[in-house]
Amino acid sequence: MATYYGTYGQKVQYLASDPSDPQTGQVWYNSTSAVLKVRSVTTSGTWAAGGNLGTARRVLGGAGTQTAGLAFGGLTTVNTAETEEYGGTSWTAGGNLGTARRDLGGTGTQTAALAIGGFVLPSGNTAATEEYDGTSWTSGGNLGTTRRVMGAAGTQTSALAFGGFIPPDSTATEEYDGTSWTAGGNMGTARRSPAGAGTQTAALAFGGFLYPTSNATEEYDGTSWTTGGNLGTPRTTLGGSGIQTAALAFGGLTDADAGLSATELYNGTSWTANPTGLNTARGVLGGSTAGTQTSALAFGGYTGTAPTAATEEWTGPGIGETKTVTVS
Amino acid sequence: MAYKYCVAECWGKGFITHGDSSKFQVSGFPGNVWQIPANSQDANLWVNKVAGSWKTKAEAQAIVDEQVAIAQAAWDALPDEQKQLPIGRQRPTAIVLE
Repeated sequence: MATYYGTYGQKVQYLASDPSDPQTGQVWYNSTSAVLKVRSVTTSGTWAAGGNLGTARRVLGGAGTQTAGLAFGGLTTVNTAETEEYGGTSWTAGGNLGTARRDLGGTGTQTAALAIGGFVLPSGNTAATEEYDGTSWTSGGNLGTTRRVMGAAGTQTSALAFGGFIPPDSTATEEYDGTSWTAGGNMGTARRSPAGAGTQTAALAFGGFLYPTSNATEEYDGTSWTTGGNLGTPRTTLGGSGIQTAALAFGGLTDADAGLSATELYNGTSWTANPTGLNTARGVLGGSTAGTQTSALAFGGYTGTAPTAATEEWTGPGIGETKTVTVS
Repeated sequence: MAYKYCVAECWGKGFITHGDSSKFQVSGFPGNVWQIPANSQDANLWVNKVAGSWKTKAEAQAIVDEQVAIAQAAWDALPDEQKQLPIGRQRPTAIVLE
């Protein structure tokens, strides 16, 4: 009979407690609990509930990471200027935007975020940019092309804004240096409400609305856009996180404005659907634009009937986990 | 796949954990209605954990329908210019539970 030692050249360790830093593939016997254990990695990601937003809203701006998120602006029953900061468990109030708005772009971190353009009542679309320092918002340089529902990527001092709705739908790309916006290469396809990920010189735009909803992905190299692999689920107003070669797409709306839960992962070439999606299907949501493909945050949005305060935390595949080996 | 339904209020962190999501899919609907797979012990234990109130499919559908009707009435009351916005531009539609 084959033995573990004979097959792998190692013995199964006999331990009173689980090792503190087990390696992937490591097998041991826990003598205290009398079970055989193995260290493996998850093959798919999962969403778990986080703390609810203080104010349910949709078409909001988002920034930050899973444990340091930022939500700002959006639509409750009216445009709001409210900012909320997430600490990994709950949301607390931050400084209000100077101008209440919805349909805005957001990028950066919790302590260095950017609010870009959007829709202000009663005047309509705005070109205004605001910068957050962790406490309060101050005015930045205005967009060259006034618009709303654009995609965004990058940091507060090296940002990218692309697409959106003027009207008509826009291909315009603009680059921010912390002071002013300058024109970049136009997108291949005009669209509103795409998601964004990555940096100013290596960005990703995916999904959006093109009559009908889009599954198109485009990649930016700091100068021009080229086509990438199509999303498996066409959608608009979705959330995004990660970088150009390891991005995450989640949620969104269908042509009929029904909320979606679908979650997909991009590897620089193609998208792969995760077996499970958001627990609360929704679009026009906020996301952790500084998050990664394996650690992201989804918050707020529209379920198809109402704005939601729900927050969900994403843990992607490839995360180490200890499993008990069952032999019968 | 067959499903079961409950009503539970999402209190936030810990309501659905990664451990829960790795074992079964929880799907939320209007009115705090949650759909879980039938014949899943893990899903049943989750309903107990969140103090969920079991609903038949018909009862759950009625709750969802009521919420959709409220949303449709709110949409109908919007000024015409708001109905033309590019986001949320359509009247909420019926949701049919599986």
